This record gives sequence, structure tokens and C-alpha cells, in this order.
Amino acid sequence: MREINVVINGSDVRATVSDRLLLSDFIRDDQRLTGTHVGCEHGYCGSCTVLLDGASVRSCLTLAVQTDGHVIETVESLAVGADLHPIQEAFRLNHGLQCGFCTPGLLMTTLELARENRECSREEIRERLAGNLCRCTGYHHIVDAVEAALRTGGRDDG
Amino acid sequence: MMDDVRSPRLVGARVLRVEDRRLLTGSGRFVADIALDRMLAAKFVRADVAHGNLTGVDVSAGLSIDGVLAVFVGSDFADHEVRCVSSYEGFQSSGQPILAVDRVRFVGEAIAMVVADDEYVAEDGCDAVIVDIEALTPILSRAQALADDAEPLHAGWVGNAYARRALRTPRFDQAVANAAHHLTLQLTNGRHTGIPIETRGCVAEYDRGSGVFRLFTTTQIPHLIRAGLSLALGVPESNIQVVSPDVGGGFGVKAQLYVEDVACCLAARALGRPIKWVEDRREHFIASHHSREHYHSVTAHFDDDGVVQALEADVAVDMGAYSVFPWTATMDNGMAMGILPGPYRIHHYAATGTPYCTNKTPYGAYRGVARPAACFSIERLIDQIARHRGLDRVEVRRRNLLQGSDYPWHSPSGLVYDSGSLIESMDKVVELADYDGLLVDQARGRAEGRLLGIGLVAFTEQTAHSTQEFKLRGVPIVFGYETVRVRMDASGQAVVAASIHDHGQGLETTLAQITADRLGLAIEDVHVQYGDTDRVAYGSGTFASRSAVLAGGAATKAADVVADVLREVAAHCLEASPEDVVLDAGKLWVRGTPSRSIEVKEVCRLVYQRPERLPDGVEPMLEATRTYDAAPGTGAYTNAAHLAMVEVDQQTGKSQVLTYAVVEDCGPMINPMIVEGQIFGGIAQGIGTALFEEFLYDDDGQPLSTTFADYLIPTMTDVPDFRVAHLQTPSPHTIGGIKGMGEGGAIPPGAVIAAAIEDAISPLGHVVITRLPLTPERVLEYIDAAKNQGGGR
Repeated sequence: MREINVVINGSDVRATVSDRLLLSDFIRDDQRLTGTHVGCEHGYCGSCTVLLDGASVRSCLTLAVQTDGHVIETVESLAVGADLHPIQEAFRLNHGLQCGFCTPGLLMTTLELARENRECSREEIRERLAGNLCRCTGYHHIVDAVEAALRTGGRDDG
Repeated sequence: MMDDVRSPRLVGARVLRVEDRRLLTGSGRFVADIALDRMLAAKFVRADVAHGNLTGVDVSAGLSIDGVLAVFVGSDFADHEVRCVSSYEGFQSSGQPILAVDRVRFVGEAIAMVVADDEYVAEDGCDAVIVDIEALTPILSRAQALADDAEPLHAGWVGNAYARRALRTPRFDQAVANAAHHLTLQLTNGRHTGIPIETRGCVAEYDRGSGVFRLFTTTQIPHLIRAGLSLALGVPESNIQVVSPDVGGGFGVKAQLYVEDVACCLAARALGRPIKWVEDRREHFIASHHSREHYHSVTAHFDDDGVVQALEADVAVDMGAYSVFPWTATMDNGMAMGILPGPYRIHHYAATGTPYCTNKTPYGAYRGVARPAACFSIERLIDQIARHRGLDRVEVRRRNLLQGSDYPWHSPSGLVYDSGSLIESMDKVVELADYDGLLVDQARGRAEGRLLGIGLVAFTEQTAHSTQEFKLRGVPIVFGYETVRVRMDASGQAVVAASIHDHGQGLETTLAQITADRLGLAIEDVHVQYGDTDRVAYGSGTFASRSAVLAGGAATKAADVVADVLREVAAHCLEASPEDVVLDAGKLWVRGTPSRSIEVKEVCRLVYQRPERLPDGVEPMLEATRTYDAAPGTGAYTNAAHLAMVEVDQQTGKSQVLTYAVVEDCGPMINPMIVEGQIFGGIAQGIGTALFEEFLYDDDGQPLSTTFADYLIPTMTDVPDFRVAHLQTPSPHTIGGIKGMGEGGAIPPGAVIAAAIEDAISPLGHVVITRLPLTPERVLEYIDAAKNQGGGR
């Protein structure tokens, strides 16, 4: 067991965790932030993607102890009260989700892209998000959503 | 019952989904998110041998681990099993033990269950359990399973066929004799399945006081799971509550009772604490059901004009080790034999079918059930007839496709196609995709040495089939209807409780659209519930492209009853006749006198809280429950046409879909945005069927596809942008004329892309593509064969 100090969605968190605890389980089970979903535990599907110091990581391939002293952002950080984040709103307006299971990972990957603050073609969007598997949508509406998000203020102040 | 004068406001519109807000904010509640007081974690020890005698399970080292509370083995649950018996004559039945007792029949079969304080410790416990298996020769192919001297995999069986089926129309032989030409294809479809991104999982608890089990589980079919659990646990349905909350994709793989559901219930009762199990991805690949492994031999008998006179088919399906609940081991076979003649005017038909047992993971439903394989077979045949007769692929289809005057079409397998627009959809997709432009692109590309090909398919999607159809399929429970209760509360809110489930299809929104229109409400005032057997009335669940039609119809019927009560009470308040009361936009008023009005909310309040104000004979209740089965129950037939252009890399064999266009006719659309999302998602899965997805086994029956690194599903760069257009031919059988469409997108891409790849490599030589998926290795084999064959154009 080891003590870690992390910032999760803007809040300081101090916790004692076992060395082998995955970040995904720490977030979901210990912190009860269940918006981050686990789809494979192999690092392939991308559903568990969170931002660690602003960079996307697979929380299923990261140990909680590795995040000591770092900043974590999850899907729960996006909406402010009842107001959806522009990326979430773009996904809603463009039918960019169906079952919603892979969605949090896609939103966080899109947030990372949006913060680069540049135009992206549909092909570039597909390249950048190809590490997030979705089995419902066929991706077309997700690309629409990301395109709209990048165009209409998906960049936040991050 | 009165008709409203108003026209629908929400039905037919691109209404944004009501479920999105919770899913986008991480506020959904999936099974893995559930945490109950004193909850324990379970993990399973699974067979690592495909076929063998289980000679010993030593749990002592597992039990000695700190934090492990119990280890269950087969003998602990030996009084229970999952069994699903088909009513087909001669069906050989197989009971799947909850935990293997003396034999293992596939790699992944559950042998022991470790229950511990948390998942990590439960996995330590699994690692410490020692299993002894005396390996037996596995049966892994049709030839091995059906060999005359094959050892039966189940006690008391004769051979390894679950059943054998045959059908033959009366004048078949004569039609064959009259046909000038005959063409036979042998086709193979790789074993693959739905692969939702959320794996399976469940949380079971048992209340000792009431004797009631409560099971949270990732299912599409809560009531059928309860029915199956009732049999497996040996308790009445009223002692079981099944709750299926948000579910992360289903596609059929979650429409089944699995042994883990039963094991967790039994363990929860034995230990007196809630038990949670969440499947990991490797388990999902080996222990959640597989699908699609069809072997077809099909022969077309046709005339000089390429018109099919008769069709002959032999269907064999590798159903794996056990018959699954509630589908049995005969459903795919029956569906394939039924739908193989497809959208064509074929009068004479003979078919045989053999679903057989092997040492592979059991086989269940996957989006499209048998229809992708059937479509692949018939469409590959039609393409070869075109080549044989020197006809254009569009022209040979035009000559054989059903036309408006053919409906209702009684197919030679006994199906009744209600309506359709096959030729219109084909013509429209040719226009939508700019077929002529693609031909120019293709010619230009070929001149540069690129391998570009075009594939085209028009097909029917049997949807919303209910009593009549399922009666024929041999399933023990006939999935004949769905049920909806509409209740308005004293605040003027409508609660729609439906027996279907929504795991991405947008049914929460579409049922709200339908109900809101019938009750003159805003969509915000309608709340759809599903997935909890204690909260919703009896029904089946969501599968087979039937929920919008059947639950939508039931919602319409129930809402209309409630609307009538609203009118009656309002009429009493307004001193008018109910026939003169108009219901719309949250109000009721006297026709022609809008000022004489009362709000729906006020009527609701009066009904429940001021019973003295009600007219004589009206009960203080705004509630109705109705079922709907879309009589005659033979299904509503959606049709579509798909057209794709594919480029093949001659060096690597990799195929890339460049263009994909679809024209869909699912009748009047409730929500075109959702319809398009369903189509696109289905096509992407179909691209997986066509190019990537296959469970491979080695000669010992070891699965070789156990991670996303070796079982590939399409990523964002593997699918193109889609083009879509619609036709809307109403069904004569259903309320609103609507037809189902959830599976359609996934049905033809295998046939379309195979045709495109065959066309792409045709400059190198003629080959006939008959095998899916078309992985780079297989495409290279076809390229080599084409070069050896020669004769390319």
C-alpha cells in the first residue's frame, strides 16, 4: 500500500492504494467516478481514456501509484452544472453516441485534440480518434460531432 | 376511440435523444457501476482444454488466500443447468452445466467460481485453483462432427447434429429439369459475433426474508432472462427480479441466459451477500456466445435470360457445444433456410439444414441472425448468373427482383413479404452513389494500375416478426408481442413502461415521441422506463428489429386509452361532449372554441386528487397497459440497396472501402436521425464481417482470437463516410405502417464488399469469391488464383 496525492477534476485527493491497483479501478471504485468505462483492460478499445496532465492515457494500463503528484481529468469534469461542455453538446446535436459506453473515452480524446486549437480534416479526425473503438455508430456521426466541436468552440480554457 | 385532428409533431422528426444527457456526462448507470452494501466479487476458472474429462478440481490453495470467501465447483450447482429445447422433430438436447461437472466441451467453459472481497483477490484465487483435465480429441469442423463414426459430444446422442431439417416445394424437380443452366457455389462465413464494447456482467443478491432473487445483468431481454432463471433456479418467476440498467451495446450477444447469471444467483443465496461479476475481454471472446459460422452449398437453376427458375440450398451451422437459451441451437439454421431465396421471384425451392455440435463456444444471435450468410449466398449466385449470361449486375437483378405487383409475396419457404420497393431502392442507390461516375473513376484508376471494384446488393430485411414466425422456428418461448403501460401522474407527466430494452437504439426517444404525440405532450413530459421486470409488464425484450414496431404499437394503443379518459374528464369539466374535445399542446379544448380549455396537467390533478369532480363511471386512474403483435405476425419487410467501391492493394491484399451508399426503405420513419445512426452502425459491423472478424482455432481447439489485437473490429479509419437516402413504403400490417430496421445495415456488406473485391481484381483474372472475411491473406490468395486463372478483362 502506498499513499498518493492527485488532483482529480480540480479536487485534491489523498488516498492509500495497493501497488497493483489500476488507475481505472481507482477512479471507478475508490473515487466512484463511474463515467470512465473499462472495455478491454488491454489498452485497445480506448473507453477508459482519461487525461493525465492534459495528455490522453489508457487508465486501464496505468497504475494508480504512477499518478502520484499528477492531474487527472475524467468525463465528469466536462459539464458545468446543467450546461454541457461544447464537445458534449456537439455529440448530442450530431447523434455522436448510441449506447454511450465508449463515449467518455471519445469525449476525452476529443478534448485533447480540441486543445491543440487547430483545424482538422475529417481524415485527420479519423486518424486521431482511431484508437477509440465504437461498435454502435459506424463512426460517421462521431466524425460529424468532432468536426462540429472543433468548429464551434470545443476548445475550452484547458 | 377518437382520432385526433392534429397531425403528429414529433413522429417523423429528427428529435434529439432524451437519453444522451446522462450518457454524455458519465451519469449513466451500467452494471459494472453498481456497488451494493457487503458486495463480494466473483471470478471464474475456465477450461483451457477444448474437450476432456474433468478429473479433479483442487480448490484448497485458492481457499487459503486471504480474502477468498468461497470457491464453488460443479458439484455445488449440479442440480441446475441451462437447457433450451427446440420443438423441431428429432432435436437432440444439451444441458449446459452451471459449472462443468465431469466433462468440458469448449475452451472457456466455467469450471469453478471464486468469490472474494475484491476482484483482484478473486483473480488470485482463480490462479491458485488446480484443475485436472484428461484431454479428449476435440471436434472442430463439420466433417469431424458429422462423420459416420464421430463420437457424440453429449451422452445419449446419435451423432452430433442438433437436428436435421428439409423442405421442398411441390414442383421443384420439374422446375430444375426445365432450367437451361445450373450454377453451384460453396460458401463459407467466418465465426464471429457482436463484440459490444461493454462486456457482460451481473450483480446478484438474495433476500432471505422474501426468498426473492434480484439480478442486475447486462441483458437485452430482462423478462426472458427471468423466465430462463426460473427454470434454472427452480423458483417461480415472481421470486425473481431482473434489472437491466444502461447496457453498453448488445447486438444479440446479450440476448441470452448465461451460466454466470445463474452461478451468481446461487452463490448470493449460499453466502447471503451480493455477488458481482464483470467479464473481462478475454472471457468475452471465449465465453460469450459466438455466431455467423455458416457453410452453404447453393445451386441456381436459371434460363437464358438469367431468370432463376429454382433454388437449391444446403445449410450447415457450427452451433458450438451447447444449445443456448432462449434461441435453441436451430434458430440460425431455420432463418437461413427461410430467407435464402431473398428478394427474388423464386417459386421453386429445396433446402436442407444441419446445425451441428462442436467443441467451440456456444453459438447465439448476432445482429441479422443468419441473414448476412443467406444474403452472401444468394447475392454471390446472382452475380455469377450475371457473369455467366454476360449481363450487367443491375440488369440481372431487375429481371429477378420482386416488384410492387408481386406483394404480398408468399415465398417458397413459407414467409409472407408484406410490401417493398426493391427495384426503386436499387435504382435510387445507383443514382445516390453516382454509379456512372464511379465507373469512370474505376476505369481511370485501372488505367493507373489500381484495383478498384464495385459491389451492389438489393435485399429484404425481415423485421417485426412475431407469433406466426417464431412458432415456426421451434423456440420454446414464442416471442409474439411486446407490452407497454402508459400512466399519467397527478403532475401531468406520462410514464411509459415498456417490455423492450434500449441499449443504443434510441428507443427511449422514439417511444417518447410516439407517446407524446398521442397525448399532446411535449417530449420533456414523457418518461420511458424499461429493463426492470418489477416495473414493466411482461414481454420479450429487444432483438430481431421488432421493438419500434411492437412496443411502438403497444405504446400507441395504451396512450390512446389514456387520451380517451383525458377527453372524457375534460369534456365533463368543459360541459361539452368528449367527441368535441381536442387534445394537443398540453391542453384540451372544445373544437372551434379554443377559449373553452383546460390544461392536461389540471385534468391529471383532478383525476387523482378530486375524484368528486369526475363524471359518473370514470375511475380515478389514468393508466392503460396494452400488448401488440402486429397481426398477422409474419413480419414487416424492410428493404434496402447498398453499393460500395473498394480498393484492393495488390501488394498487401488489404482492402479499403472508399465509397458506401445505402437506400433504405423501412416504411415511415419515427426518427430519421436515429434510423441513419442504426444503418451506419450496422454497415460498420458488416464491414467487420466482410474484411476483419473471425474467431480462429488451432487443431487442438485453442482459440487464437482472444484480444482486440488478434480479433479486429473496424476502427474509424476502416470505414468511410456513408451516403444515405430513404424510401418510405408503409407496411399494411403495422400501426403507422412502420417497419423495423435495426439489423439491416449489418446484413449485406459481406455480399457487397465480396462483389467489389472480385470486381477489383478482375483485371488480373476471374475468380469467384465465396469466403468471408476477406482478410489480406485471403485476398492475396484470390489474387494469386486470379493470376493463375488468367482471362481478366
